[in-house]
Amino acid sequence: MNSLAYQIIFYLFAAIIVGSAALVVISKNIIHSAFGLLFTFFGVAAIYVYLNADFIAVTQIVVYVGGILVLLLFGVMLTNKITQADLKTETLNPVPGLLITLSVLAMLLYTFYFRAKWVTVPVDQQLRGTVVEPIGIATMTTYVLPFEIVSIVLMVALLGAAYIARADRKVQTKEGK
Amino acid sequence: MEIGMTHYLALSAFMFTTGVIGVLTRRNAIVIFMSIELMLNAVNLSLVTFSHYLNDVQGQMLVFFVMTVAAAEAAVGLAIVISMFRNKQTINIDEINILKY
Amino acid sequence: MLNDLLLTLPITIATVWVLVLILCEAFVHNANLTRWLTAIGFAGIIASIFLIPSPEGYAYGTMLRTGTFTNFSNFIFAVSGLLVVSISDKYLEEEEINFGEYYIILFISTIGMMLMGSAANLSVIFIGLETMSVALYTLAGMLRKDVRSNEAAMKYFLLGSFATGFFLYGIALIYGATGELALPRIAASLQTNGVSTLFWIGLSLLMIGFLFKVSAVPFHQWTPDVYEGSPTTAAAFMSTGSKAAAFSSLIIVLSNISIALPNNAVLQTAFAYIAVATMAVGNITALTQDNLKRMLAYSSIAHAGYMLVGIAAGSNEGYSGVLYYALIYTLMNVGAFGVIAVLERHRTLTNASDYAGLFKQHPLLAGLMAVFMFSLAGLPPFGGFVGKYKVFAAAVEADLTWLAIVGVLASVVSVYYYLRVVIFMFMRDPEPAPQANANATGSFALVAIAVIVFLMGIFPTEVLKLADNAMKVALK
Repeated sequence: MNSLAYQIIFYLFAAIIVGSAALVVISKNIIHSAFGLLFTFFGVAAIYVYLNADFIAVTQIVVYVGGILVLLLFGVMLTNKITQADLKTETLNPVPGLLITLSVLAMLLYTFYFRAKWVTVPVDQQLRGTVVEPIGIATMTTYVLPFEIVSIVLMVALLGAAYIARADRKVQTKEGK
Repeated sequence: MEIGMTHYLALSAFMFTTGVIGVLTRRNAIVIFMSIELMLNAVNLSLVTFSHYLNDVQGQMLVFFVMTVAAAEAAVGLAIVISMFRNKQTINIDEINILKY
Repeated sequence: MLNDLLLTLPITIATVWVLVLILCEAFVHNANLTRWLTAIGFAGIIASIFLIPSPEGYAYGTMLRTGTFTNFSNFIFAVSGLLVVSISDKYLEEEEINFGEYYIILFISTIGMMLMGSAANLSVIFIGLETMSVALYTLAGMLRKDVRSNEAAMKYFLLGSFATGFFLYGIALIYGATGELALPRIAASLQTNGVSTLFWIGLSLLMIGFLFKVSAVPFHQWTPDVYEGSPTTAAAFMSTGSKAAAFSSLIIVLSNISIALPNNAVLQTAFAYIAVATMAVGNITALTQDNLKRMLAYSSIAHAGYMLVGIAAGSNEGYSGVLYYALIYTLMNVGAFGVIAVLERHRTLTNASDYAGLFKQHPLLAGLMAVFMFSLAGLPPFGGFVGKYKVFAAAVEADLTWLAIVGVLASVVSVYYYLRVVIFMFMRDPEPAPQANANATGSFALVAIAVIVFLMGIFPTEVLKLADNAMKVALK
């Protein structure tokens, strides 16, 4: 690809991410926030493609856009009465929070640009082509334990969510049923 | 010309900061959770960047686990929000304040 | 593979047992059966730790560390779980939440803790932390119809996920600075490549995550609200097991990194100041609390401060002191919460003044509560005293005498609010008689805890030796 076009597209996606992330935080309308998040997720997926993380990019779209965002939208719809114009949410004491976080950001950026001693490998050894195969191998060898445990996290989340959100049922006493 | 590693990291730091600001300033539980998702996405972006420049697949493995955990958290969070709403009719965390001194 | 499963036998047993529990609950629908099976599971874990202690080494590549440290920390988590299960049933029945899910989620939470206590890789610490936390968020919200429980779950969930964000960013930056996720290889990379600013930023972000979980100042604000709103028995579990897990993980990270950073004066000073702030805020705020659960929440912040003294010492002495302290704190705090759970009824009878004249009504419960209060205050001859002595001695040895003095002063302050409860129970007349009837398992467990707390105060050497060994062998 033409390297100039390559760069322009990168900055375009970066701008989309920054803008839509800001929309998530600034917008007073929660539906707008959700749509901001949608664009952020897509933008991040595009950046993953730049980083040769094809598999992660697809997973990003499937999990975040297809799963988490839909869940969040359900949450919005179930907890707001859409008919009332009650979707506006307030912001509170932004000044101290902004100051602290922006100073942390400044410190991070300073470190990235001037102080970092990167442990990187030469360009020709960076991850190239598809990474599905190494990821698959790692999943089944070195990372098999976390991979299995993650299923327990999902299970406890399902158990807990079902318990907390479902309708009432009869309580058991000492005598059983 | 190659896009440098710091560009990706700066982008990720911006996203993370945006998320932190959202958590600190917003008062709606779902918006706060969206901001937390922004933070997690920023972390994922950093991890994938490092993974690419280190020629090491471990970072991408961790991204998978972060995504799974984020999904689990979203499910639990939604359940909590709904049960709260059922009892209290609000998810505005300024109005959730019985537990004070 | 089979070898790895055997090396990490407690985790293997727990994971298999979770499936048994879920199938049993799904098909039999009997909460009492699930409770007994859960207790059997915890007993099985404890038995496997004693009968087949794992040798020193790594399992699953370099994912998990095995050996005495892991054995000791797994023992703490299993004990915490077993005790909480045994004090739970009466409280759950009274609050009408006697469902099998409670026990299953509690058991799964313990798996997360065991992973945290035996991790040798940052990704395992993260997943262990999340397994534990997701389970605890739901435990906090178990009283679904109670707004306070909802609120506790919501606060814990939002702040917990926020802290997880920092924790993960810390992991990401450490990964970027060293190119590794496995702790031993991170240490090796630091030794060869040197320590960069990026690593320090990553480490401090990681520490924010840990300090949140142990409820250290300034990341403590969630603690009283969550402990007060959650079911009392769940609060007992959160304040003991999850704290012990976060501390054991913290010890693993710090002791690995200290191989590369031998003179970590920065870390030591930072932890010393955080410990001072935590002890001061916890103890002073606890003085003003009437609600016993809030008082115990602030006291748990203060106890995190004492344990951070041991972390600040940064030596094996200090770390083994923290381990011992975590064990004894688990016992006495589950005991104190257990007495409250027995007496409490739909969120009444939770103020210290409600306990007036308890001794005349229920001498046994009053006596047990007095033992736990004395031990929490760190008075000899109870176990809490030995734990405090151990961490403060480690601080003195590490040239942090001022920190030990602050710690002793803080515990002197704490005597006031613990003794206030005892004075109410023994010296005041009962107004409305507190009605309590502990059932057999509950009172047996409480008596057993009190006896062990007492014994660990008088004959601490054997357990101390185990705690010392845990540090000596595991992390040189």
